[in-house]
Amino acid sequence: MHELSLAMSLVEGVEAECAARGGLHVRAVHLEMGELSGVHEDALRFAYEMACQGTELEGSRLATTHTGGSGLQITALEVDP
Amino acid sequence: MTGTEPRLVEVRRNLLKDNDLRARALRQRFRTAGVRVVSVVSSPGAGKTTLLAALLQNLTKQLRVAALVGDLATDNDARRLAASGAPTRQITTGTVCHLEARMIEQALEGWELAELDLLLIENVGNLVCPSAYDLGEDVRLVLAAVTEGEDKPLKYPTIFNTADLAVITKCDLAEAAGCDLDLLRHNIEAVRPGMPVRMVSARSGLGMAELQHAVAA
Repeated sequence: MHELSLAMSLVEGVEAECAARGGLHVRAVHLEMGELSGVHEDALRFAYEMACQGTELEGSRLATTHTGGSGLQITALEVDP
Repeated sequence: MTGTEPRLVEVRRNLLKDNDLRARALRQRFRTAGVRVVSVVSSPGAGKTTLLAALLQNLTKQLRVAALVGDLATDNDARRLAASGAPTRQITTGTVCHLEARMIEQALEGWELAELDLLLIENVGNLVCPSAYDLGEDVRLVLAAVTEGEDKPLKYPTIFNTADLAVITKCDLAEAAGCDLDLLRHNIEAVRPGMPVRMVSARSGLGMAELQHAVAA
């Protein structure tokens, strides 16, 4: 229902993680989605592309895995070697 | 080819929790500064701005009040509320359908909280998404106008469950709108047993003194 703002937090979160590690170029973001998070995956993917536009993350991929619970968590980043 | 293989960096960052943590920090800041914070949610057109403008007229006489107001576009509402003389800031959310704790943090920049007694926050008109975003407020009002139909609480129970006080607005129009006030109250009670309800009309002044008391208390 508010996937766009989640996607924006997602991009901000990844940017912060990258900055904390001295700048990384991200190819993919691994995201764990809880079954009870209330987040609609298709809507989130659509919003993610929009939220990435004009940022360092433009063109990056969103790789999701599904778990139980209500969380929505970034678990890993695939970055340039 | 190994040079082009991506490297995997492990991170742990919970996205849904982020707003809750920020809201908790805000609540602490408000408490430390001695500011009471009251937010208002409703569907678009239920009368949030008119109600707040009327409340501000009187509240500014006894308290140091400021207001934040969220909309997707325009600063029309901020201008309406600023007419009371209270410091007011508009939060334009662009495409985002609700206010978030992060937006409140940003909007407060440069304001000395200790110099305020009361902060009023008008959310974006929306009965769905604001229910998932704590803003660090002490009290959340949910408005239901008599023109909206008696079954609004049944259709949008979550927002009633995250609010503390229900306010039925535009009561001067109840008869003309064919609104069954008893049924509306009954439906609020059905989704949130024991929820306090106030019936007001910002235009006629009905119930406004009592509501003002509840907001300021």
